[in-house]
Amino acid sequence: MLKKCNWLLAVCCFFLVQPAISKDMKPGVSLEVIDAYADVHSGPGRGYPVFYTIEQGEKVEILTRRPGWYEVRAENGRVGWTTAAQISRTIQATGEPADLPSVGYGDYIKGSWVTGFSTGQFSDGALEGYETFSVTGGYRFLSWLGADVELGRLFGSDASGDYYAANVYLEPFSDWKFSPYVALGVGELSLGSQPQLISFSEKSSNFNSYGLGTSFYLGRNFVIKAEYRWYSVSTDDETESLQAWKIGLNTFF
Amino acid sequence: MENRLKHIFLKPFTVVGLCAVSLFLGAESASASELKVNSELFDVGLTAGIINLEDFPAEFLVGASVTFKASESFFLQYNYVQADISRSTHEQGGLVYGVDRGFSHYDLLVGYNLFQGEFFAGKGGSHLSSLYVVGGVGDTDFGGEESFTYTFGVGYQIEFFRKYVLRVDYRDYLYKSAIISGEDTTVQSNQLSVGMGYLF
Repeated sequence: MLKKCNWLLAVCCFFLVQPAISKDMKPGVSLEVIDAYADVHSGPGRGYPVFYTIEQGEKVEILTRRPGWYEVRAENGRVGWTTAAQISRTIQATGEPADLPSVGYGDYIKGSWVTGFSTGQFSDGALEGYETFSVTGGYRFLSWLGADVELGRLFGSDASGDYYAANVYLEPFSDWKFSPYVALGVGELSLGSQPQLISFSEKSSNFNSYGLGTSFYLGRNFVIKAEYRWYSVSTDDETESLQAWKIGLNTFF
Repeated sequence: MENRLKHIFLKPFTVVGLCAVSLFLGAESASASELKVNSELFDVGLTAGIINLEDFPAEFLVGASVTFKASESFFLQYNYVQADISRSTHEQGGLVYGVDRGFSHYDLLVGYNLFQGEFFAGKGGSHLSSLYVVGGVGDTDFGGEESFTYTFGVGYQIEFFRKYVLRVDYRDYLYKSAIISGEDTTVQSNQLSVGMGYLF
């Protein structure tokens, strides 16, 4: 029994100590600050108090990145958080995304992974009134070009279903805070009955779609999207058109 | 012409090709950054708690979650929870059988850190903490029904040793169900849970 407890204790200790070890083994990079100055906050948020100020010419070690913030260790050993904007010029030389006013939103997130979800409703066609949501995962190749894979569900009063799709997004003015985009997608949709209606059988059909939307950059890594989509679904003998509006949230990492 | 285009688009290998191109381009630009800064942008975690489906007894529940930090104030969270629900007092002779007694739910939420702060556990320094609200949409699967669900909630989290996130959450699930009443009525199910996440 005692042996078992010891074993458990050892496992717990390992998990507690392990992050400390890995931190020591991965020393941050030391940089000379070329920005005028940077306030050091006690946490990564605007409300955390400023307890120190790094001056130009001082050496800092960059420890951790969070959206909009870097954790730094100053020469005198003080550890705190500075905004990515305040040390953007220092950071820029390293290849990290630099939060300079001159850097457009699209440029900041290019080369990042993206995940998000959207929700909406079908506004026209056979599925009018159906509610839908989907989760996406993708990649932003260029400031104006992205792609993702989408998994979604549809809910209606007498049927429900799933769909999956692959989408490409073209966003030509991605340095704007409000920026329009075009979406193109292909996928497969399957519909089945809810338990109240037994006669309905599940069937799947391919579709392609295009959409027009607007991105609103709430932050460097956070985007709200509003979109209208036109779907054309190929069933056995005909093509069905559907339309839907969607609102989505996406984060880049 | 239109038909031919459609044919090309609908071919599954077009989809596979798209993915391959994305991976290739992804690998290309990932090497751009020389600075290897340790990012703390998402955490994965486990959840345990109590769920109280409307008209049914409260039950133990387990689940998993992934959270993405989107900005200093916002985050996105994907949750999955499941439970086995025992018989309701409204069920005379039983309305829900077998696998349908299993409750499962997943949702996609956006969260806002309302009160960010620090938690002082001892002399060892401070731990980042936050009181947050969440809202979103999801799917609830119970009693043979799958329902579009709105989720609302409030929670509090503390980051211990910077890597471990301890959460206490309250969630409210709103969806339509016809199990008890026989016709679609909006029901409200409540969940209280604790979660532990690992940040990386």
